[in-house]
Amino acid sequence: MTTALPAARRGGVRAAEKSTDRAARPGVLWVVPAALFFMVFAGLPLLLVAVLSFTSWNGLGTPRFNGLDNWSRLLSDSSVWQSLRISAILTVLCWAVQTPLALLLGVWAAGRQRNRAVLSSIFFLPLLMSTAAIAITWLTLLDPNFGLAAKWGHYIGFPDGNIIGSPRGALGCVVVVVAWQFVPFHTLLYQAATRQIPQSLYDAATVDGAGRVRQFRHITLPQLRNTIVTSSVLMLVGSLTYFETVLILTGGGPGSATNILPQHMYMTAFRDYQMGYASVIALALVALGTALSLLIVRFSGFAKMRSTLEGI
Amino acid sequence: MADVRLRGAHRAVRGRRLTERPNWGAGVAAVVWLAFVIIPIYLMVKDALQTTDSYLDGGPLSLPRHVTGHNFVDVFDRGFTRYLINTAIVTVASAALTVLLAFPAAYAIVRSRSRAVSGIFRLFLAGLAIPAQATIIPVYLLITRMHLYDSLTAIVLPTVAFGLPLSILVLASALRDVPRELYEAMTLEGGGSVRLMWSLALPLSRASLTTVSVYCALNAWNGFLFPLILTQSDEQRVQTLGLYNFQGQFSSNIPGLMAAVLLSAFPIFVVYLFARRWLVAGMAGVGGK
Amino acid sequence: MGETPLSRRTFLSAAAITGLSAPLLSACGTSGPAGAKGGGKTVQAWVLVDEAQNRVQNVAIDDFNKGSSGKVKLLPISSDGAVYADKLRVSMGSPNPPDLLFNWGAGSIRNYVQAGGLVDLSSQLNADTTWKNSFLPSVLNAGQIDGKYYGIPMRGMQPVVLFYNKTLFAEQGQKPPATYDDLLKLVDFFKGKKIQPFALGGLDQWPELMWLEYLVERAGGPTVFQNIAAGRPGAWRDPAIATALSQIQDLVRRGAFGTNFNSVNYVNDGAGLLFAKGKAAMHLMGTWEVSNQVERHRKFAETDLGFAPFPSVADGKGDPNAVVGNPTNYFSVSTKSVDKDAAIAFLKKEMAAPAYVDALIKSGDVPAVTGIDAKLSASPQPEFARYVYQLVQKAPSFTLSWDQALMPQFKTPLLANLQKVFSGKQTPQQFVTALESVK
Repeated sequence: MTTALPAARRGGVRAAEKSTDRAARPGVLWVVPAALFFMVFAGLPLLLVAVLSFTSWNGLGTPRFNGLDNWSRLLSDSSVWQSLRISAILTVLCWAVQTPLALLLGVWAAGRQRNRAVLSSIFFLPLLMSTAAIAITWLTLLDPNFGLAAKWGHYIGFPDGNIIGSPRGALGCVVVVVAWQFVPFHTLLYQAATRQIPQSLYDAATVDGAGRVRQFRHITLPQLRNTIVTSSVLMLVGSLTYFETVLILTGGGPGSATNILPQHMYMTAFRDYQMGYASVIALALVALGTALSLLIVRFSGFAKMRSTLEGI
Repeated sequence: MADVRLRGAHRAVRGRRLTERPNWGAGVAAVVWLAFVIIPIYLMVKDALQTTDSYLDGGPLSLPRHVTGHNFVDVFDRGFTRYLINTAIVTVASAALTVLLAFPAAYAIVRSRSRAVSGIFRLFLAGLAIPAQATIIPVYLLITRMHLYDSLTAIVLPTVAFGLPLSILVLASALRDVPRELYEAMTLEGGGSVRLMWSLALPLSRASLTTVSVYCALNAWNGFLFPLILTQSDEQRVQTLGLYNFQGQFSSNIPGLMAAVLLSAFPIFVVYLFARRWLVAGMAGVGGK
Repeated sequence: MGETPLSRRTFLSAAAITGLSAPLLSACGTSGPAGAKGGGKTVQAWVLVDEAQNRVQNVAIDDFNKGSSGKVKLLPISSDGAVYADKLRVSMGSPNPPDLLFNWGAGSIRNYVQAGGLVDLSSQLNADTTWKNSFLPSVLNAGQIDGKYYGIPMRGMQPVVLFYNKTLFAEQGQKPPATYDDLLKLVDFFKGKKIQPFALGGLDQWPELMWLEYLVERAGGPTVFQNIAAGRPGAWRDPAIATALSQIQDLVRRGAFGTNFNSVNYVNDGAGLLFAKGKAAMHLMGTWEVSNQVERHRKFAETDLGFAPFPSVADGKGDPNAVVGNPTNYFSVSTKSVDKDAAIAFLKKEMAAPAYVDALIKSGDVPAVTGIDAKLSASPQPEFARYVYQLVQKAPSFTLSWDQALMPQFKTPLLANLQKVFSGKQTPQQFVTALESVK
């Protein structure tokens, strides 16, 4: 496990400090309430997903074991693989759109000028709205006859406003709406990080005659490396939560053009009422989430934890 | 979590040459982004203030012929007050419960020498990986078997559970910054673990407590999936689901729908106006982890 | 395969562990278990959100509550039928399902019947022949599952009808299509006039299904779908399916629905508005379109809204009088109801009661109740009401909407694949293959 190191590390520190530290140490009881709560409402459900994946259950009555039926079905079910592909495409697209935008805006917003402060406070407005509110608002804008799509669709290659109803347009809509919602958050991260870059680095570069672009490439970008990693990983893991946007905006359509994996699971469970098979898809989601979160721990939290551990 | 106030203190020291020089390229990008952000918000506000007929006849971009507050009244007539109150209950309960559970746990994780505790910490770290959607089927099963289906409690329980891992992580990293010497000094004055946590650790981690509360509160306020699956009745409806339902009820009454959207974000907006730094620091704090 | 019930203990122990944390929670002052069912034994009636209809349903409820110790309360759940069905499903799986539930009969309740969740109303109906005979038999029978009655008609009949803008047709000197060839000519004509021939709310997917249902009915008669619904092997390969799908692709290519129909919703009035504003000439839709238009665009509904049967198709095996759509909606009683007797008493007393029937007629519905010819003049659209009443009475068959009639696992693939056919991303053969692979 990735977390083995901090623990081992603590063991090392522990031996060293034993002689001097006499402060009271809390026992395991302090963690029990949180752990119990977490186990019951997150751990146990995870276990039950695994159990349900070997059952057939239509949501009524009691689940029945059906062996490996669901799993063998997964192998031959092209719709799941298609959903996985759409999820991957959407995740990559969202990352590729959001990262440069948030990076540039964050660096810009890090400046202390008054106009930047005012503009950034407007930038952050989407942060105040729920996914549901945002998706519903965009849906009204996307009406091809009476919404903004009717007026401005031809500027972006949709002269008839048929954006949300075309496979590519719908995928684009999800990317745009997600960016509208989440770029402000990532801008915030970059803004905070940029403000921590020591000014002396820029001063030295200016003395050497480096221009703005070179300073950005050789000072700002390398200094923001950790933030880029953190923000990217948050985006990757967060991409699993685009489900709500998709559910309200496109419902996975048109056809199955935006049918991402969580949406596919939701439909299988709560529209087709195949809870057992949906549990198999859910486990695939967990596997994905775990893989992506291992990235988080490895790249960001991990390094930080190690350094802060020295302080104990 | 880097302390916000410390950062502020650096501000004066740092030079103002580069960061305050006009940057035209990024400036233009910022203005374009501004337009992208502001147009939907502008339309939302403008549409909410006009009648359906004037919206339909004028098209999406026209200015309202008469300004009316009727849409807001209409939204309240449809029971939106109740949704907002329900959401507030869920939000406060979730945030309070999360902090109450997470803080002692984080404190023990940092201070305890028990192997069991570090084992549990690893469990929480692994818990970061569980996407809430993936467990929704058994969560639904559990909640119905506990006879909690269609109650606000049903929303709070899983919301808290899925908020715990990150909260504990954030709090634990903050607590690690508390110097060991302080614990020892207070121990000499005769403090036990409870007193150490209460009078030393708690005041020193106020910033990350803010972070965690803001994170949990926003999560609960904007939560959609758990309420969607775990509640059904009008009495237990939260604002996000209220909006989702209004969609059909208002049909082509876009102004009414937009009024509801605005009202749903209004409480957070008020917090933003009066405690912007607090809110923003809270959000950035979570990302910083 | 050898299926064993998952041990009840697994769930009980899960619940027991969970119980440990319950005191913790209540200590924190969150609200206790919801009292939705608290406060007496109120019978909850779940219905679709629909302002006009909900008002009518409350007429019946108020009348019943005045004269009875049992009380009924209306619970409008969602305006979107798909969302409503989801919520109903979730609730039916919970320990406190609704007492009375609005449904579409057939596939929409078959699972509940199989799980023993719905009360068999046959003996009640057979014992009270006056009650039974007050409903049109074809519609009452359409609510049967395995020869037993589980639903009482509670709304108007909802065949799918071809609506057209009669003012626009008159201005252009056109007549509603009697044959499919007429329809194609009208498509070309209106397209030439830069008017979209048909409004279609493709974003919601199910409006597209109505086209398939009618074209299959005209091409092959009602047996084609009966075979599909019964799960007969090869049923999807009936040539009528391929014929209908090709006709659909032809219509799309001719521009019958404009180009952006997959971005247009029906639920939020996108398609209805297009039609009401004269931007589309025709709209194939269920009869509820009339009450929607009356509610949302009264002037259009009163002066411009015309209606016609779906045209006949040359060489088709289907009877041109046959209709598709929803015979009606039903109220069913849940076996876990807090007060079954009150729920049944409510259905008995109110569903064919003159006050309720009158209120339905006034809202623009045509109830599935016998002998109401004379009353129909009270409808806001008396001409339309009489038309629908006649249409259903002379129809040799009334095929229930496929998405309601089929088992739930077909719903998503059916709608998604049909949408692909409409957007030209799938051939009729691919559609058939995709649906044959649904288990």
